[in-house]
Amino acid sequence: MFKGRILLAATAVLVLIAAIVHVSLRAHTRDALMLADPETILSDPSLRTTAIGLGTDVFARHCTACHGAEGRGNRQVGAPNLTDGDWLYGSGQVAEIEEITLHGIRSGDPRGWDQASMPAYGRARPYTREPIPPLSPGEITSVVGFLRSLHGAPLDGAAVRGKVIFVGRGACWDCHADDASGDSAIGVPNLLDDVWLYGDGSARALFNSIAGGHAGISPAFSHTLSPVEARAVAAYVASLSKPHAKDSQR
Amino acid sequence: MTAKDPAPDIWSLTQPGARRSLVFCAVGAVVGLLIAGIGLFTAQGTRTSTVPAEDVALVNNVPILTSDYITQIRALYDVPLSRATPEQKRRALEDMIREELYVQRGIELGMQADTVEVRTALTGAVEAAAAADATMAQPDEAQLQAYYKRSLARYADEGTMQLADYLVPAGVDAVAAVAALRAAGSGAIARYRLRQTDRMRDGEEYRFAARIHLGDALFAVADRLRDGQVSDPVTRPDGVHILVMARHVTPPPRPFQEVRDRVLNDYVAVQSKVLTAGNDRFLRKRADILIQKGFE
Repeated sequence: MFKGRILLAATAVLVLIAAIVHVSLRAHTRDALMLADPETILSDPSLRTTAIGLGTDVFARHCTACHGAEGRGNRQVGAPNLTDGDWLYGSGQVAEIEEITLHGIRSGDPRGWDQASMPAYGRARPYTREPIPPLSPGEITSVVGFLRSLHGAPLDGAAVRGKVIFVGRGACWDCHADDASGDSAIGVPNLLDDVWLYGDGSARALFNSIAGGHAGISPAFSHTLSPVEARAVAAYVASLSKPHAKDSQR
Repeated sequence: MTAKDPAPDIWSLTQPGARRSLVFCAVGAVVGLLIAGIGLFTAQGTRTSTVPAEDVALVNNVPILTSDYITQIRALYDVPLSRATPEQKRRALEDMIREELYVQRGIELGMQADTVEVRTALTGAVEAAAAADATMAQPDEAQLQAYYKRSLARYADEGTMQLADYLVPAGVDAVAAVAALRAAGSGAIARYRLRQTDRMRDGEEYRFAARIHLGDALFAVADRLRDGQVSDPVTRPDGVHILVMARHVTPPPRPFQEVRDRVLNDYVAVQSKVLTAGNDRFLRKRADILIQKGFE
């Protein structure tokens, strides 16, 4: 009887010690994740395993509604594909993704990214931040023609008129650049590649984007996620477009 | 106890001892008082001795987040943390610590009470916090769809008009010209010497643009015309007008999926207003506001 109690007590003490060691190690690993340079996480096997394990869970809970379970995005709602290596904002660094995770895009968080949005040229007042003249349906069609010409369609008269509008009174160049290559510093898509944020690059989709405008939102999670969760999900997202990181998880 | 009994050993744990209990109690009290005294006279707030892993520094216990520090380095030097030099890192951190010290000093000095810029920034920040909460709420698809259905008119395109605006020359019977246009179409234009104005010469226009070009009175007439219809004569200060509508498009609302981001933006804006209004009510409710007579 007495021996039995001693054994029970010893077992309880061992379980307690094991739990304390487990929690300490876990805390230590998470601390290591926070203390590391974010850009080194994916190249360190131990940190990567921790980050991707935790990040996968955070991504599933908070990000899949818009970006999809595999992070391939949703062009109907303007949620970018996170697996293709084409970054709308920044260049795909873990620290940049972490910043967006914490402070969002047009989220209302003063630290969020909110430098520009796509004007609605088919409305009386296309842009609320500065005066930009609206375009007529014909002018929008011409700009669409110009954009399609960048993807192999003929540069006909309408497309030439569209180019004049693009670099002229439409002020499209101001964000998309003279050569339509975009600007990832302010989240402006490159119009030269075949990566489309909204729609499929068809004339109709382009017309709708120019006439109706866009201003996608990514929420700020600074009050929802812990710092280590934010970093982990940022590392996970960065890993989605880095095949070697994914391969190592298989 | 008799005189022959040996004195009990108070440190023997096998025997109960009231004196031993008192000694332990007293020692505990003294140690407790010592710890409290040291804490009381050497305290710096509730200072912690280590910096949490997610922070790069603590300034009077206010954390400077590592993520903000990395952002600062990128903003200042356009390099990731891994490529920043030790000097760049040191300067970025010194700048952030200095800023935090100045913010804390500003609060000590009551800057929020008398510096307009600080008050404006604080007001904006609290409002932005409400907006951030609205965004964070992440409405589900059902809520967005319900909002879209309640606000369908917002999600229709502007609609377009393509029409000709003719002025009737003096001496010409405008009613007869209208009848001829309706009967014979464009052949009547030359016969009645109708002159097209420049107002709608650009072809298809959005309705808001047509309203600007035609003016409210003529636009109201045009708005009632369908494809191919000719208006009655409209007398305006510059003469008698006849409108011939080639194409009038009043599009239906765009499908939900095409405008989902706009719906989300609008929904968040509405929720943000609701939260801000709730915040206003809460702050007023808990505040003690006295208003001078005559200023209610």
